[in-house]
Amino acid sequence: MIANSVTRWSRRIGLAAVATVAALPTWAATDGGGGGLPQLDVSTFPTQVFWLFVSFALLYFVMSKVAIPRIADVLEERQERIEDDIETADRLRAEAEAVKAEYEKAVADARSDAHDLVRKAMDEIAASHAKAEAEAAKKTAETTKAAEARIAEQRTEALESLKSVASEAAAEATAKLTGLKVTDAKVGKAVEAAMQGGA
Amino acid sequence: MASPVDQFQIKTIGPSLNVAGMDISFTNSAAFMILATVVVGVFLTQSMSGRHLVPTRFQSMAELSYEFIANMVRENVGSEGRAYFPLIFTLFMFILAGNLLGMIPYSYTFTSQIIVTFAMAITVFIGVTIIALLKHGTHFFSYFLPEGAPIVLAPLLIVIEVLSYLSRPISLSVRLFANMMAGHTMMKVFGGFVVALGIFGVAPLAVLVALTAFEVLVAVLQAYVFAILTCIYLHDAIHLH
Repeated sequence: MIANSVTRWSRRIGLAAVATVAALPTWAATDGGGGGLPQLDVSTFPTQVFWLFVSFALLYFVMSKVAIPRIADVLEERQERIEDDIETADRLRAEAEAVKAEYEKAVADARSDAHDLVRKAMDEIAASHAKAEAEAAKKTAETTKAAEARIAEQRTEALESLKSVASEAAAEATAKLTGLKVTDAKVGKAVEAAMQGGA
Repeated sequence: MASPVDQFQIKTIGPSLNVAGMDISFTNSAAFMILATVVVGVFLTQSMSGRHLVPTRFQSMAELSYEFIANMVRENVGSEGRAYFPLIFTLFMFILAGNLLGMIPYSYTFTSQIIVTFAMAITVFIGVTIIALLKHGTHFFSYFLPEGAPIVLAPLLIVIEVLSYLSRPISLSVRLFANMMAGHTMMKVFGGFVVALGIFGVAPLAVLVALTAFEVLVAVLQAYVFAILTCIYLHDAIHLH
């Protein structure tokens, strides 16, 4: 700290010495007239200080009354505008996110709805399919039953006609072979007996 | 050939004015002070007149200078420095304009005048001292004895600190004045070489080109240094170390 002060001090002293040495030719400048540095001609000091004061005061007035408030205004306005814009952007993003969430919910709902519908439809189809199958089975069974009945009927009929045909044939054959006239009733009884036994 | 320091000659423009026995005639130096005022005033007000949300080039320059000095004051003085911002901004722009206008050939560099820089520096010095006295009263004098220093060293330290404090306006003014004067003298000397050496003048001409660029840098840098030292002095006055 002391070393620091000393170096600072010596620097200041050095500068002061420069100033003093520079100030020496002042007399020369004032005495000789134009011999030394023009800066050291004290006769020019009042005018320079006066005009410095005038111009600096004028500039300070313009700066503090017009220029600085104007620049500060513009900077503040811009800052506000940027903050506003950021706010708006945040709001819009939040809105967009809400819309997106809503949309995603809607999509999920629609998807589950669709799923339900598909399942329902499949269930319905399966149910109607089963019903149709059952009906068809019933119908088939009925048809089969009817057909079987008809077959049985026809079979009986066929058997009936076979009996008469056989009786006739037997009567004919007996007549041809033996020359005996056999009554229908007798033949019928014999045929029936043969069929019963043969069958 | 004209002396390299002839460029610093004060020349009266128009009638000579005398007030209370003092010569306050309008001079080439005064003309450039007024010009600097006009240039800075017009630059900072006209570039901002559009109040563009997205700044134009000139508006951007004005805003950048404003923010540059605003940050400097905030960082070096603190929030109490806000009140002094217009003064420091004016000081910076005035010196900057004076230095840069001086770089235009045939113009006059009023910041190469010791009395001009000294007048500004002594005003800053007195102002800062008054602020410190108003803020801290007699406690201000504790500034000259660093806290924690051994009491035996007090006589020496106080002398050093007081000298160091009093030399502030000198160092502040001489720094700006010497830089500007030396730079312009150098340029004039090398300019003289270019003319004197004829065809071989290209060598000093190259130096002159580099020197001109360097002088533009110095012009900006010295305005910055003056402003930042003012900020540091203000900081000392407000916070005492």
